[in-house]
Amino acid sequence: MTRRLTMKRRQLLATGAIGAGALTMPRLALAQSDGPIMLGTLTPLTGVGGTYGPSMRDAVAGVIDSVNSAGGVLGRQIELVSEDTQTNPEAAVRAARKLVDVDGVSAVIGTWASSVTTAVAPVCWEGGVMVYTVSGSDSITQLPHEGYIIRTQPNSQLQIEVAAQFMVDQGATRVAWIGPQTPFAESSIAILGDVAGEGGASMDSLIYEADRTSYRSEVDQIMTGDPDFLMLGGYAADSTVLLRDLFQAGYEGKIIGPAYAVNASVLDALPNDVVEGLFTWEGTPDVTSGAYARVQEILGVDVVDPYSAQTYDHANLAILAMAAAGSSTGADMRGGVRTISQGDGEIIDNAVDGLAILADGGSVNYNGASGPCDFTRIGDITGTQFLFRQIQDGQPVDFETV
Amino acid sequence: MELIPQLLVNGVLYGSLLALPAIGFTTIFAVLRFPNFSVASIATLGAFAGWVANVPLGLPILVAVVAAFVISGIVGVLADDIVLRPMRPYGALTTAIASIALTVVLENMIRFGFGNDLRGYDLPLVRDWRFLGIRVGPQQLENLVLATIIMVLLFVFLRYGRFGKAMRAVADNPQLAALKGIPSGTVTRLAIFIAMGLVGVGGILQGLGTAIDPLTGFRFILSIFAAAVVGGLGSIPGAVLGAFVIGIGQELSLVILDPTYKSAVGFLAILVVLIFRPEGLLGEKRQ
Amino acid sequence: MISYLASIGVTIGIYALLALGINVAWGLTGMINLGMAGFFALGAYASAIATTSGELPILIGVVLGFIFAAGGGLLLAAITFRLRGDYLAIITLGFSESVRLFMTNEIWLTRGPDGISDIPGPLRGELTPRDFNLLYLGLMIVVLIVVVILLRNLANGPYGRALRAIRDDDVVAAVAGKPVGRLRLEAFALGAGLLGLAGALFGHYHSYIAPDMFLPLITIYIFLALTAGGPGNMLGAVLGAALVVAVLEGTRFVHDVIPGLSIVQVAAVREITVGLLLILALRFRPRGLVPERPARSSELGLSTPRRNR
Repeated sequence: MTRRLTMKRRQLLATGAIGAGALTMPRLALAQSDGPIMLGTLTPLTGVGGTYGPSMRDAVAGVIDSVNSAGGVLGRQIELVSEDTQTNPEAAVRAARKLVDVDGVSAVIGTWASSVTTAVAPVCWEGGVMVYTVSGSDSITQLPHEGYIIRTQPNSQLQIEVAAQFMVDQGATRVAWIGPQTPFAESSIAILGDVAGEGGASMDSLIYEADRTSYRSEVDQIMTGDPDFLMLGGYAADSTVLLRDLFQAGYEGKIIGPAYAVNASVLDALPNDVVEGLFTWEGTPDVTSGAYARVQEILGVDVVDPYSAQTYDHANLAILAMAAAGSSTGADMRGGVRTISQGDGEIIDNAVDGLAILADGGSVNYNGASGPCDFTRIGDITGTQFLFRQIQDGQPVDFETV
Repeated sequence: MELIPQLLVNGVLYGSLLALPAIGFTTIFAVLRFPNFSVASIATLGAFAGWVANVPLGLPILVAVVAAFVISGIVGVLADDIVLRPMRPYGALTTAIASIALTVVLENMIRFGFGNDLRGYDLPLVRDWRFLGIRVGPQQLENLVLATIIMVLLFVFLRYGRFGKAMRAVADNPQLAALKGIPSGTVTRLAIFIAMGLVGVGGILQGLGTAIDPLTGFRFILSIFAAAVVGGLGSIPGAVLGAFVIGIGQELSLVILDPTYKSAVGFLAILVVLIFRPEGLLGEKRQ
Repeated sequence: MISYLASIGVTIGIYALLALGINVAWGLTGMINLGMAGFFALGAYASAIATTSGELPILIGVVLGFIFAAGGGLLLAAITFRLRGDYLAIITLGFSESVRLFMTNEIWLTRGPDGISDIPGPLRGELTPRDFNLLYLGLMIVVLIVVVILLRNLANGPYGRALRAIRDDDVVAAVAGKPVGRLRLEAFALGAGLLGLAGALFGHYHSYIAPDMFLPLITIYIFLALTAGGPGNMLGAVLGAALVVAVLEGTRFVHDVIPGLSIVQVAAVREITVGLLLILALRFRPRGLVPERPARSSELGLSTPRRNR
């Protein structure tokens, strides 16, 4: 009998604890209609993507600061809540639920890994919240999201096609792809193989295990085919290892890698000889744009990584979409976003200018730090230009734009 | 197939990097009889200690290696004193779990201080030398030589020094050692200092060939455990042999196995050894 | 808000099942399973593949999840059968990593790093998100109650006594005529099966699984749940799981409290907190918040296993 009772008491304690937790939770979703408008970032601050997430978040914070000091949107201030995906879909789903249900955010910005985006997207659209993502996997915009997903990263198919064509145009005759197992690995190999075949080049590939500390033997293996142009398919950490190993192995051919993999921190960590002549490509952050300059200023860096340029655009797009829709709910913003991202409106490159024009009854077309930011029906970006750069003396130098 | 000699060389070079931390792991097991999983973050710590010495302070690499040894050793001893020693009465497995918690704490303290960015050492990188069509990296060769020297010194020290005898006595039977007047606390601490120091050196040597971040130690830790188990937990020569078996095995596996399964080679090696020779290649037979 | 709390409830339920799975092996027999993520993944994938590509009903998928994980556990335990527990600990770690590699690379079966989406959930789509969350929470509670009752009966019956005797001293237990080896294997496999069950339920709840959802970090979360709740104690495992989820979720709200920290540092502080709590729990509450009622076999008050030779 006493045992029963103590059990009950414990259960009570447990429910009490959860209840108390709920009470102390700040900013209940109720505050939605008159308090500040909430925007959430959900970027990888730890885990494999941890190299990218912090500056992605900072870019968003910069946009919100400037809009707030110009008077906010819809007559309200904007407040930022940042969560960590831990580059782990399970943790990301918990974080997304908190953003959606507790903070009542209008949009979730900056999901990075494709698996994370795929996992959190249903939580967001079921909760009526938009997702702005930088994930490249083709499958993401094919989810049944009814307009809730906007992606500023060109999908992987387009990215690889452009780079493959570049390799052929540069005179490659024996191309090879080397990278870890990712959602893009197999499709990248297939696309590169097709383009190379049309260009009369031979094709070889090797998928390695991510997160190893040496790729010497993998390099030996891919070099048995004597490739003259290699495409890297990994992220920053494994590309650092791979580039060193390629250099040491005496690889003399050309190399191209996505700019997110061969980023500033990789260039810093590697001696200049190792990356000399290396090509990078990315959906071009428009380096000549005012938006790009502003991201440089917010982050205090010379070279803005493409993800931070994109989250900067996400924040601007989300804020402008609210103003255009006259509402901060995700359902309304879905329609709003395309009226300010494309069309015949006045070209602007930041939300503050755009808000002023919208307030005067004008229309706008946002062109951002990552490019023109026009979207298809399913949320894929179109009209992206690609910038190819070549590393010279440890610095990326513009090579050509396609 | 024509790659095999090259893969063997690569395996030996990789194995030499695994050997030092594997020795550290197995030494702690020999003395304290529990698997100390905190070697993962201690390896990372060594890499970062060396980086601080080498890059911000501008000291040469050899000094950085010494710094990695000393700092890792000291932190290893402190962590053991504060966290793990009080746990030992609760049993080996409780202590092992505590060491996992410890490694998460240490890794995140490093992350707290240094962030997630990749960091490279101030070290010129040169192309590999080629002999008879086989390539060898001067840096990797230097690591191999350094690791070998350390292993020989350690072997001489443990085999012929008074400390080695004391350590073996404590490892065999702490009570008996105490009766004989061997200060088992001091011997244990010194053993942990050396073991964790070696783990830290393993971390920096690993980092010299790549770039480091808070996950550096975690990336090769499973290979280290595999090396220690394959060689026989608690056996120092076993750890060295195990390191080369795992190193060579992983590289050679490319011939028959998809490179995406490299890490699984360590697991397969453990399975095979445990099925056919449960005490490990050089482990002593236990009842 | 209600969906959020319900989803936290489901997460607690999943963690509690994981803790119970570890508990069967660790709390009752002193065998350690550090490959939790692997068995969790095995169960999730078995059930997800069975119910998507295999088009089987959810219930059958869940049962398959249990069976596959239990089978994996049996195999590993059998291999390290005659060895000290340390070997099992290390081999389960390696197993977990190998499972993750398999799920990543065998795209024909597991769809690789893309993961499996559209895993069916009971009445998903027919209910509002809020009602689905509440329904699933209800199911989760039923499953937990059933598992706890079964395990309690098991633990308090002759079987459980034998298991505890093995934990406390396997030599004495063997002398007393207990089939030590078989009991250990069974207990370990049962525990692994529960981890698989948790994985299956996890997949059907989230509707999506991918290899990087099953990272080794979860191991320390669950050990924290178990230690805080009291190893060997079924109800404690559930309370411990609630505590861990409260810490994980609660630290989100600490964000605003510590100014001047970079966001990476805040994330680091969260993991440091979890790690320190586990160390403190092991150190000061080796018997957990809800201690197992005094068992006659454990003199000295050491409820956690002594070294297995």
